[in-house]
Amino acid sequence: MSAIYGLYPDAAAAQAAVDGLRAAGVAGPDITVLTSFPMDGCRFFDDGSDDRVRRRMWTMAGGGGLTGLTAAFALSWVAETSWPLSVGGLPVFAWWPNLIIMFELTMLGAMLATVVTLVVGARLGRRVTLYDPEVSRGHILVGIERPDRDRIAALTRALAAPAGARLGGNAGA
Amino acid sequence: MTPPLVTTSVQEEDTTEMPKWGMAVDLDACTGCGACVTACHAENNISTVGAEQAARGRAKHWIRVERYWEGSFPDVRLRFQPVMCQQCDSAPCEPVCPTYASHHTEDGLNAQVYNRCIGTRYCANACPYNTRFFDFFNPAWDKPLHLQLNPDVSLREVGVMEKCTFCVQRIRAGTIAAKADARELKDGDITTACVQTCPAHALVFGDLSDPDSRVSQMARAARGTALLGDLGTQPNVTYLQRQTP
Amino acid sequence: MTPARPPSHEQMTADLLRPLLRTTWRFFLLAAVCTAPVLAGLVAWATQAYYGFGVTGLGWPVYWGFYITSFVFWIGISHAGTLISAILRLVDAGWRRPVTRCAEAITAFSLIIGAMFPLIHLGRPWLAFWLAPYPSERMLWPNFRSPLVWDFFAINTYLTGSLLFLALPMIPDFATVRDNSTGVRRRIYGVLALGWRGSSAQWHRLETAMAIMAIAIVPVAVSVHTIVSFDFSMAPVPMWQSTIFGPYFVAGAIFSGIAGLIIAMALLRRFLHLEAYLLPLHFDNLGRLLLVMSLLWAYFVFNERLVTYYGNEPSDMAVFWRTQRLSFAPLYWTMVTCNFLVPLVLLGVRRFRTISGCVTASVAVVVGMWLERFLIIVPSLGHKFLPYSHGSYRPTPIEIVIAFSTFAAMALLYVLFTKLVPIISIWEMKAGATADTVRS
Repeated sequence: MSAIYGLYPDAAAAQAAVDGLRAAGVAGPDITVLTSFPMDGCRFFDDGSDDRVRRRMWTMAGGGGLTGLTAAFALSWVAETSWPLSVGGLPVFAWWPNLIIMFELTMLGAMLATVVTLVVGARLGRRVTLYDPEVSRGHILVGIERPDRDRIAALTRALAAPAGARLGGNAGA
Repeated sequence: MTPPLVTTSVQEEDTTEMPKWGMAVDLDACTGCGACVTACHAENNISTVGAEQAARGRAKHWIRVERYWEGSFPDVRLRFQPVMCQQCDSAPCEPVCPTYASHHTEDGLNAQVYNRCIGTRYCANACPYNTRFFDFFNPAWDKPLHLQLNPDVSLREVGVMEKCTFCVQRIRAGTIAAKADARELKDGDITTACVQTCPAHALVFGDLSDPDSRVSQMARAARGTALLGDLGTQPNVTYLQRQTP
Repeated sequence: MTPARPPSHEQMTADLLRPLLRTTWRFFLLAAVCTAPVLAGLVAWATQAYYGFGVTGLGWPVYWGFYITSFVFWIGISHAGTLISAILRLVDAGWRRPVTRCAEAITAFSLIIGAMFPLIHLGRPWLAFWLAPYPSERMLWPNFRSPLVWDFFAINTYLTGSLLFLALPMIPDFATVRDNSTGVRRRIYGVLALGWRGSSAQWHRLETAMAIMAIAIVPVAVSVHTIVSFDFSMAPVPMWQSTIFGPYFVAGAIFSGIAGLIIAMALLRRFLHLEAYLLPLHFDNLGRLLLVMSLLWAYFVFNERLVTYYGNEPSDMAVFWRTQRLSFAPLYWTMVTCNFLVPLVLLGVRRFRTISGCVTASVAVVVGMWLERFLIIVPSLGHKFLPYSHGSYRPTPIEIVIAFSTFAAMALLYVLFTKLVPIISIWEMKAGATADTVRS
């Protein structure tokens, strides 16, 4: 069995299940909690990873912006000096208009970097190993992927403890 | 001569030898006969569009004779003013063109490269003199007029802008001929179609960088003014204002 | 104005998925009605491409007319969405939740339509790719000093950003559609959902990404319409060369964008039966915003006119009187009525600020803002410095059909979009409802 999970009708029950798993010795990052909308104010567990992720995404966005800025500078430099044409008495490399190009490509770089970070970080487009369509009908799923064979019984007990729990599991791939 | 507003690397390249083409228009001499317009059409393969299209603003007169009435009846006077591309040193049409179809050449011409033009018509809007014309249709000539086309001037297809080039084909031909004969260009070696045709000698063409050329002398004249000079376009055409009442 | 009990999560999912899962003859009728003018527009465009630009009413000296008016108009409408929804996200306005997606969809579609106009308007549209900076065989790049190249960069950045801004929050909803459907639809939405599960890590990353996107898209939106205004203010044309054009255009864009959003929301509410989601409260809030923008617009117009009047520059004044008292005066005062007087009365008086009041004011604003762009472009071009070159402009049926067909194109894209994507973000509604219950 590659995953075991419980489905819970509300946040309190899901929280109880998470607490039970952690009491049973499962590390926070190993617990998967699936919801149909972001649960603000319900912190199923807090290991500081949220802040780390936020910082990383902002850093990546900034890096993307810098890349865009560099690309825009290089592009406008190459474009204007490779065949220097005089127009309207403006300088060959004209800073004011080029700043517009640089601004636009900076923002484009930041936005593209953000989306790439999201797709990679949120593992979008990858094979799903643990899921139940009941999640999008309002249930909260708490589960563990690839649990220790010997501890399955203890973990199942922890998952079944909260009121209204429905257990499930799949063999996965 | 005033120095250029901004020095570019293009201008830094050995511009001392470069001519600076210019024109002078003596408004006292202009009789408004329109020979320059006809000569320009013939020289530059400018297609005519017919009365109906001309009324809709599709006529292309690279040079036109503007008519202004002065005074009130019965003391009315008719004034003429030939207007062509002013070949501005600080041309508003140039920086707005996205494809460099409109740009400045080393010899101070405001060039229009038809093959590079994609037809945004932005240059025509930016031009304060309205001397740029758009090809609304492919050019056509009634037979046998198609046989009189000038082989030195390319035809413009539908969707591009065109305008007065100071007869660049004559400038290039004259320069090349002088170079082949290993001689200096003299004042009067090169002349544009409109200047050549003007019966009143109201139009004068020449090199402004040569202080002794006729056009330079006329440009320095006390009654010399630039058309819409306060816009800062630095035209290379000088108008000699009227002295006659 | 307090809403009835908000719908339950199950009810929300069912209500918001209904347009996707059930299709009646009314949808096909509506799509056909919208498609017909679009086809007419395509035929008109083909005619223009085949016979040359002579089929339009353009001519010396008015070289820009309906097409550039429509270009500025649609780029303006696009500020509805992304800008409004980004700002509302940034200030975390709870009432934004049902509004954001239909606003962002307006942005995406009107940008696509707006970006078509420079192509339609081009003398040789088949060479439009020369605007793109690619290493050509002669190493001749586009002229980075041209406002049209700035447009190219700004609009492409904004379009990319807006499409991503629209698409990212759709992923969880695609997962919801996937789980609530069967067969081919389930497979298609399964692909679109990109394997979305809704883990805490995914939600956190999605929300952070949306926060970054919101912050990035606001300055881009401001820059886009500033650059569109540069198309005019960079040219020495009477009444164009104005330092106020940047903020004036941005304010006008947001103004017309909100109007477009109110109209779209009212139609969605009526046709998709979203009365429980798009509440009078939303129209009231957007109506107030529209009123503020109307006042701001009037402030800019007053500024522009006053400064020109005192400057008393002859060529500027010629255009000034042309719009104020002469041939363009009827259009000008219609514009002032539509953009200022009507919104002031309908939105300023609380009793009139109902849904139908807001929609009426919005329709007036859309008309007025279209006229505003026309009145910026045509009177100035027809009245430049040399009196000999004064002229006028009269659009031909080709131009009118093309301009009109884009409104139908907007409607068609919107109708198809509501058929394929939940027009109100399901997960954001659920999160909002939960946050409300927690708060109470």
